[in-house]
Amino acid sequence: MASPITTWEGAEAIFTFADKPAMIGLFLTLSIAVTIYAIVATIIHENESYIDYNE
Amino acid sequence: METSVPSTAELQALLDMTTTINMEVFYWWCTALMVIIHAGFLAYEMGASRLKNALASGVKNILAFAFIVPTFFFFGWWIYLAMYGGFTPDLEAGAGGMPWSLSMGPNLTDNATGIFWGAFVLFAATTASIMSGAVIERIRMSAFIILAIILGSGVWILAAAWGWHPDGWLTTTWGFHDFGAAGCVHMIAGFFALGVIINLGARIGRFDSLGKPVAIEGHSMPMTIIGLMLIIVGFFGFLGGCIIYSGTGQWTTIFGTPATLSAVSFNTLMAFAGGLIGGYLVTRQPFWMMSGGLAGIVSAAPGLELYYPPMAFLIALFASSVAPLVDKFITNKFKLDDAVGAFAVHGVSGMIGLLALGIFAAGYPNVNGPEISFMGQLNSTLVMAALGFIPGYVVSLVLAKLGMLRVPPKAEVAGLDLVEVPLKAYPESVPAAPSDKPVTV
Repeated sequence: MASPITTWEGAEAIFTFADKPAMIGLFLTLSIAVTIYAIVATIIHENESYIDYNE
Repeated sequence: METSVPSTAELQALLDMTTTINMEVFYWWCTALMVIIHAGFLAYEMGASRLKNALASGVKNILAFAFIVPTFFFFGWWIYLAMYGGFTPDLEAGAGGMPWSLSMGPNLTDNATGIFWGAFVLFAATTASIMSGAVIERIRMSAFIILAIILGSGVWILAAAWGWHPDGWLTTTWGFHDFGAAGCVHMIAGFFALGVIINLGARIGRFDSLGKPVAIEGHSMPMTIIGLMLIIVGFFGFLGGCIIYSGTGQWTTIFGTPATLSAVSFNTLMAFAGGLIGGYLVTRQPFWMMSGGLAGIVSAAPGLELYYPPMAFLIALFASSVAPLVDKFITNKFKLDDAVGAFAVHGVSGMIGLLALGIFAAGYPNVNGPEISFMGQLNSTLVMAALGFIPGYVVSLVLAKLGMLRVPPKAEVAGLDLVEVPLKAYPESVPAAPSDKPVTV
């Protein structure tokens, strides 16, 4: 269950998987990995784009 | 029919919730207005680029925003909360800023963290956009992203922790005062950009064979001018985000000293006008008029809640008169190519602003440190300059040594829209034709 609550009474942190640290860690790690990959993908794209333009 | 009378406790609870929601609403709209800053920077940079680079400059600017937001979530907010004392983190204070903290997401008992995080993210993106304009038309996209993350999610927020935080060591030690973030946002970004352009080098054709500067005109001055005006609009959100809404008393600065939005209104507008006039008097042309308006607000920003409005007007007029001269000086003397004058407009004007406050507002008390003084402002200004310049210079030097900083010369000549994007900015009118010669004026 993604919901950390079963009632709104007394609810505090309500974001998905707020009560499951492993899942928070998983989504956080995936987010960081995707962000880093996007930089790597940019470098790859540049290198491919520059093939015909290198001296 | 009997009506129930609310108890004092119920009324108090209602009042408290109304106050909390008012706070959220205020910063929500400040943040929304700050997004307009980025619309402005986007137009500004694209207009300042030649036709062959207009879209690539736009992509670069948008990506700065895109990468700042997640990285500021991953570690930027933690830096602000934990690093106020210097380089040694306060782990307890920083705990709430860790990306797995229960405050870093929807939480019905925390109306503040997300809204302040959002405002600070927009400040962060602003620093990256300031640097972005200086490096157009020749920096590699990947290098820019790396530099933007370091600046926006690292360096500026460390500077904010030191000098734009109630317990920041610059304030507690030297009485540093900077209402509108002229130091941690503008000086940091301007000096960071200076460090980068030293290693990046000038655009091909920016200097002739004798080293004489050759003007490179962007493809749309009107777009640039409108972009600058949008930045000014967004500045009202930026400056609103600089004031603390407590809900139970007078507004305060981020340093805890009393302030009013009314004061900020007086001085922001007077400084904007002073900046416009200064830019006009020195250059007579719209780019430096609008940049002067920006420089004017930046230079008055440290004391927007304190200055007598004509004083803000004159400080702004001075800073905006100096900015184009500084830009000309670093271009002619050091052969630096700051494509939009970012160092002069943000770095130098921020520096003038911080020092001016030390001269004209000396003696005002601080809540959490000694009173405002010239030496306190001077010392803090030197810290801000070093903190901005050194990371920008060192990281860009490393990237340059690795061959990752600058696009190949042939690609630069052909134009980055054609090489990288590849799309044409105006396919039905003017082709994004390769061009190896800048327009000379």
